[in-house]
Order: sequence, then C-alpha cells, then structure tokens
Amino acid sequence: MEEPGIRHSVYLNNAATSWPRAPGVAEATSAWLAAPPRDPARNAVTAPDDPASECRRLIAGLLGDVDRRRIALTHGATDSLNLAILGVSLGQGSRVVTTCMEHNSVLRPLARIARLAGVHVSVVGASQDGVVDADDFAQALRPSADLVVVNHASNVTGAVQDVGLLFALAHDVGALTLLDASQSAGSVPVMPSAMGADMVALNGHKGLHGPPGVGALYVREGLDLDQWVVGGTGSRSSLRLHPAEMPMRLEAGTPNGAGLAGWVAALRWHARAGREGVQRKAALTAHLRRALHDMPAVRVYGDLTSDDRVGIVSLGLRGVPAEDFGYALEAGFRIICRAGLHCAPLAHQAIGSAPDGTVRLSLSAFTCPEDVDAAINAVQRLSARMAA
Amino acid sequence: MRIVEARKVEDCFDGGAVYAYRFDNVWTERDIRALATLGKLEYYPEFPRPLFRLLGEGGWQVKGILGEDECKVVLPRTGRESIRQRFEQQHSDPS
Repeated sequence: MEEPGIRHSVYLNNAATSWPRAPGVAEATSAWLAAPPRDPARNAVTAPDDPASECRRLIAGLLGDVDRRRIALTHGATDSLNLAILGVSLGQGSRVVTTCMEHNSVLRPLARIARLAGVHVSVVGASQDGVVDADDFAQALRPSADLVVVNHASNVTGAVQDVGLLFALAHDVGALTLLDASQSAGSVPVMPSAMGADMVALNGHKGLHGPPGVGALYVREGLDLDQWVVGGTGSRSSLRLHPAEMPMRLEAGTPNGAGLAGWVAALRWHARAGREGVQRKAALTAHLRRALHDMPAVRVYGDLTSDDRVGIVSLGLRGVPAEDFGYALEAGFRIICRAGLHCAPLAHQAIGSAPDGTVRLSLSAFTCPEDVDAAINAVQRLSARMAA
Repeated sequence: MRIVEARKVEDCFDGGAVYAYRFDNVWTERDIRALATLGKLEYYPEFPRPLFRLLGEGGWQVKGILGEDECKVVLPRTGRESIRQRFEQQHSDPS
C-alpha cells in the first residue's frame, strides 16, 4: 500500500528526545551494564573512570568551566527544576517571577508551591514571536522578587530569551535566578557566570544527544538549597543527617550509572564535534523555516526571532487542527513530529496557537538534508490537499 | 472487519479521549468507504501511506491508514460512550 521509494521514518521530534544518540552512547551504556558495577566513590567529584565524576567534569566545561563540585547529577531537567524550585526557601508572601514561555516542568512546581505554601507567582507574557519584553519583566519584579525562573530557549518556537538582561534585572531586586536550559544546552552557549544564572537545569537527552534519565543542576557557590530527597550517598554513612556539601547535598540513592556512562560518551562527542553539528542543524533549520514560510497555507510561529541553532520550527496548516496535521505527517508520510501544546500551554496564548497548539518539527545535529526535504515535501502535499 | 483489541491512549489535551483499535483484518478501500455512513469521510489515496479521516457529528473522529489493521478514534467529552459503543458495534460483526 505504500508509495514505492518512501523513506522509512524521518525523525523530527528531537526537542522531545533526540535520536540518533551521539556516537558511542549505546556502546558505553551497554558496556556499563555488561560489566560488574564498580562504584568505588559514589557521588565522587574526581574519581578516575567513574562516569559521575567524568560527567561533572564535562558539564563543568560545557558551562564555562564552573566548579564541578557545584554540579548535582539528576534524573533530568524536570528533576533539576523541582530540586531548585523547592530548594529555594520560599513561603507565604514570597514572590516568584516567571514567563509564559515556560514548560510545565517549571509551571507545575510553581503552581504547587503557590497552592501549598502561599507563594505568589507572576507570569510575564511574551510577544507573538515568543520573546519576553524586558520592560514587562522589570515591572513584574517590582517591588521585589525572591526567585526568577526563565526558559532559555522555547520548546515551542525555539526563541532564545535575552537571559543576561532579564537576570540582571532580577539581581537588581535581589532575586535568585534559575535558568531552564532544557532546549539550549548543547545548541546555544550556556554560561551561568556571564548570564547571571544562580542555578541552571539541563538534561542529557535533547541537544546533548545522550540517553534519557540523566540531567544536572548547577548551583553557584554560596547558595545552599534545601534538601528534598535524602538517603544513602555511598559515603559518610555514619552521619545521621544527609551530608550538606555539594554535590552530595542534592544527590541521594544509587546513581544511574548506565545513563551517566552514556552521557559521558555524548558529552565527549559534543566537546569534539558538537559545534559542527550545531552549525549543520542551524543551516537545515533555516532552510526548513524558509521553505515552510513560503507556503501560503502554512503558518510558521515565532519565525522572526527563533534561533535556528535550537532546531525547532512550529507550524500550523490553515483549517486543519494541529493534532490532525501531525497525524497526517506521521501516518501518511512517516514524518515523526509532535503535535499539540508541547507541555507549554501558556506559550500558545502568546504566539496565537491556543487552544489547539502547533505541529513541531525539531532537528538534531544528526538530521540530514534528505530528512528536511522529505518533511518539506510532505507539508507541501498536505497543504495542497488538506488546507482550507 | 472485527475489533480484536481496544486501548485508551493519552493525548495532549484534557477533556477528549483517544482509543486505539486493532482489527482482525487490514483496512481495505471498501472498509474505508463504508465509514462514510458515520460522518464526513476524507480519504487521501495519493499519499505515500493512504490516509483516511472520518469527521463525525459532535467532533468525533476516526483516523487510519489503508492496509493497516489499526485506527485511532478521537471522542469528545459529550456523548463519548454512545459514540464509542456505536463504533464498536459497527465493527463487531465478523462478516
């Protein structure tokens, strides 16, 4: 029943989880699982051959040579964001300022502390291009704020916020700053000291092309987050309370050694070849965005400001619900994409795609030109037949 | 064409319900055309994998592909059960 010559699955859902993984990830993960576990220094900062230790070293380099002891390894960005948001001592009367471009991994923990602890949360809007206005942000910070949480790159449009400016405004009123680098890590430089980020949350399975289930939380020197998960650390077992020093402070239980071993391979690949990969992705994303933009029945969201390095293009087809458009791409043409709200419900109100959402095509460093051309061709054919 | 498996699948939205059905046979052109009695049928035989979509009254939908033994049924909040029963009844006959 299938058209002869159609390529099998074109994977353009890399903003959810990138695929393929970086070279060596599957092998490293598999090798770790096949060998007897060696865990001489759980939560170690400098143990040789320990994936946790090597992960910290590589992430520290990725973040502009920060102190590796300030990097807690987590189960992903959601885990990191929860640790950070819950770890900042907030209570009745505390104020948090965030943006409408946030993912539910930020919005839901904030909604929870608003409900349970009486924290006041202000959400700053964005333009139709998904960019937060600095004046609006500054206004929301008045008269004071305790914590600011900002999404570096939007998982809906790919728009990159001017985090340095927003965080400078936050520091002016004494607020702590938390950067959600879920979509930017690996694609756009993430430099906490230059950006003024007190905390940075990131994951291994998107722009860094590692396995799922691994992430990190950077916490700057001098900032001690409350502990929410405590337990075994593999060392200092005689202590009645969980150790207070970073990174152990925020790590409890047996680490995901297999995932970390895979992430080490991905981070090494990224350090070696990531820059070229991002350049390829940016060129292909720009090509895709231009081609889609030229189709009369297609609306590309955030087209003016989106950063091509992030590799995200969100679109709609006139008269066709996003869910149906996505289904047609995937079922009819084997273009694996994502349709709907992308766990960022407020962003759609800003960019004009509520309540239906968008179809999101997202590229990785390993996406090839043929994949992008297949997607363009599919949208063209769908547009010709289905658009109103 | 008879349903052999039905399962509820999650989607992005609150309120609707999506069911995935598997049948004892693959969707033929005749089966697809027969859906037209249930609503407005859109069929795209020229796509690489020929796609169909049925838009039923009240916003329910059936989506599937010619030559595959599965389809998705999207049900709205109101009248969900009666629509589901009607669809399942129509596809419970072994003939």
